[in-house]
Amino acid sequence: MDMLAQQIVNGLSAGMAYALVALGLTLIFGILHVINFAHGEFFMLGGFVAVLAAKWLGLPYLFSLPLAVAVVGAAAWGVDRIAVRSLVQRRDGLSDVLLSTYAFSLLLYHGTLGIWGPAPARVEGFEGSFDLGPVTLTNQRLFILAFGAALIAGLQVMLTRTRFGRQMRAMAQSRFAAQVVGIDVAGIGTRAYVLAAAVAALAGAMLAPVILFSPLMGSNTVIKAFVVVVLGGMGSVAGAVVCGIGLGVLEALMSLYLSEGIASAVIYSLLIAMLLVRPQGLFGKAA
Amino acid sequence: MKQASAMRFLASAAIAIGLAGHAFAQAPVKIGVLMPSKSLVGKQGLQGAQLAAELINADGGILGGRKIELVSYDTNFQPTEGVAAAQRLLNQDGVKVITGEISSTVALAVAQLAKASGALFVAAVPKHPDVTKGGYDRVFRLNSTTAMDGSEFDGFLKNDIKPTKVAVLAENSDFGRLTIANMKQLFGAQLVAAETYEMNQSDFNTLVTKAKGSGADLVCLAGSNMEQYGNILRVQEELKFAARRCLMPGILNSRGVQIAGKAAEGAFSADIYVPTIQNAQNQRFVAAYTAKFKETPEKIELLGFESVWITAQAMQKAGTSEDTVKIAQAIRGNVWNTPRGEVRFDKDGQASSGPLIRLVVKDGKIVPMAR
Repeated sequence: MDMLAQQIVNGLSAGMAYALVALGLTLIFGILHVINFAHGEFFMLGGFVAVLAAKWLGLPYLFSLPLAVAVVGAAAWGVDRIAVRSLVQRRDGLSDVLLSTYAFSLLLYHGTLGIWGPAPARVEGFEGSFDLGPVTLTNQRLFILAFGAALIAGLQVMLTRTRFGRQMRAMAQSRFAAQVVGIDVAGIGTRAYVLAAAVAALAGAMLAPVILFSPLMGSNTVIKAFVVVVLGGMGSVAGAVVCGIGLGVLEALMSLYLSEGIASAVIYSLLIAMLLVRPQGLFGKAA
Repeated sequence: MKQASAMRFLASAAIAIGLAGHAFAQAPVKIGVLMPSKSLVGKQGLQGAQLAAELINADGGILGGRKIELVSYDTNFQPTEGVAAAQRLLNQDGVKVITGEISSTVALAVAQLAKASGALFVAAVPKHPDVTKGGYDRVFRLNSTTAMDGSEFDGFLKNDIKPTKVAVLAENSDFGRLTIANMKQLFGAQLVAAETYEMNQSDFNTLVTKAKGSGADLVCLAGSNMEQYGNILRVQEELKFAARRCLMPGILNSRGVQIAGKAAEGAFSADIYVPTIQNAQNQRFVAAYTAKFKETPEKIELLGFESVWITAQAMQKAGTSEDTVKIAQAIRGNVWNTPRGEVRFDKDGQASSGPLIRLVVKDGKIVPMAR
C-alpha cells in the first residue's frame, strides 16, 4: 500500500513532464496544423540554458527559468521565420514543414553536441525532500507539480479569456475564416509557435535537475509526447494534460507488476488501439 | 646569369636530396587507432593513445630514433564503420598494427579483418570474451573480461559484504542481463529484486521505489552509462533508501560520482586501475595527462595509453615495425611495465595484471578500499 502511494506520486511528477512537452506539441498542431519535429529540441535547449546559467553565469536556479524562456523563445522565432511561416502556405506546406522542422531538430541537436560535447550535466534545483506519511517527495518534484499546474491553468485562461487566445482558437477552427475576419494569421501563427517553444523550454529547465541534462534528452522525451498527443487527440489541450499525467501514473503502476520492456509494449499497443478505434483521440472531436 | 641559375639549381637539388635522406632515416612508425571518438569514452581513449605517442617520442622514439605517428579514425560504435576505417588504415595508410576501440562488436569485426590481412590488433576496452577467441595469434586485449571480474568480485560480495537481501538494477543490455543471471546463481533466494532499465531512460523514481519495497540491504548497479547510474544513486538518496550501494566492477568513474554528488558516498566497486597507484610509471602518466588535458586519467584513458605504449615497446623489442608475427611474439613473451603495474598476456592474447583493486567513494573521491 505504501509502495502504491509512492508510485502514484512518482507517476504524477513524471506525467507532468509528459503533459508540459505534449502541450506545446498539440498547441502547434491545433493552430498551425503542422507536426513540429523540432519541439523536443526546444525542451532540450531549455535544459541546456539552465546548465549554462548555472555553470557559466553562476546564476541561481530560479533565474534560469525566465532566461530559458527568452533564449529558446528567440530561437523558436528564428526557426518559425525560416522553416515554418514561409513554408506552411505552400501547396504541400504541411509535409514540407515536417521535413524542415526535422532538419532544424538535427541542427539544434548537433549544434549543442558541438558546443557542449556528449557529457551529461547536473543542474542543482531545489534541494532536499520531505515525507508525507509513507510517501517521499523531493522539493524539485513538488516544484514541477505546482509550477506545472499553474502554467497549465495560466495557458487555459489565456486561451479562453484573452484576445490572443480567441484569435488562436479561431485559427484552429479555420485558418481561412480567421483570415477573412481580419486576423493576422501569419503573426498569430508565429506567436503560437514561440509560446509552445517557451512552454517546452520551461519544462526542460524544470526537468534538468531531475533527469540530468544531456543533448539526447529532447529526442528521448518527444517520442512519449507524441504518444500523449495522439492518445489525447491532436490539437486538444485538455487531452494533452489528462493523457500526459495519466500516462505517467499508468507507467509507474505498471512497473509494480510488469517489466520495463513489457510496460512499454503495453503503452505502444494502446497507441495503435486508439488509432484504430478512436483516431481522433480521447478528447478530439470526430472529423 | 646562366651560371647563377645553374648554381641555384644545384643548391636546391642538394637541399632536396639532403631532406629526402633525412626523412628516410627518420620515417615515422605509423600505428592505427580506432575509437568512437565523437563519444565521451572514445575521446578519453584516444587522448590516452595520443599521450602514449607523445611520451615515447619525447623519450627519443623507437627503433633508432623513429617517431610514432598515430593515424586515427572514428568508428561510431558501428561494426560497418569500424571495418571501413580498419580497411583504410591497412590499404591506404600502410599501417600494419591497429589499436584501440571501445565496442566489442566493432572489435570482433576488426579482429576478423586483421586475421584475413595478417595485421596485428591490440584491442583496448572491449569486454566480450570472444574478441580474443578467434583462433588468430595476433589479436590482443587489454581490458579484463566480465568473467574475470566476476570470479573475484562474487567472492568479495558473498564473504566480505555478506548481504541478507540483494537487489540488482541493470541496464537492458548483454552486460546487464548477464549480471542478473550471475547474481541469481550467486544469491539464489536472497536476490529479492532484479530490474532492468532502458539505455535511454532518465527517470528512475519508479525503479528505485520497487527496489526499496523489496527490503534489500544491498543494491548492485550494472550499467555502464554514468549519467544513468549516477542518477539512480541520487534517487536512492532522495527516497531515503539506505541499502549499501555497489557498482559492478569496471563501471565506477569520477564523472558518475560527480553526477551522483553526496549520494555516491560509500558506494563501492572494483577495477583494474585507479589513478592513485604508487609507481613511477603511473606518476608520470597521471602528471603528463593532467597537464595536457586538464583532467585526471582513469581506466579508459589508461587502456588507450597502454594499447599504443605496449605496441611500441614490443616493436622496439622485436626490432621491427612491419613484421607482425615478431611483434606478436614479443607482446606475448614479455612482462610490460605500465601505469597499472605489471601486465602480462596469456596464450589467447588476454592481458592480466593481478587482482582487481577494490574501490570505495570517500569524500567525493574514488579511493582504494582498506583491506
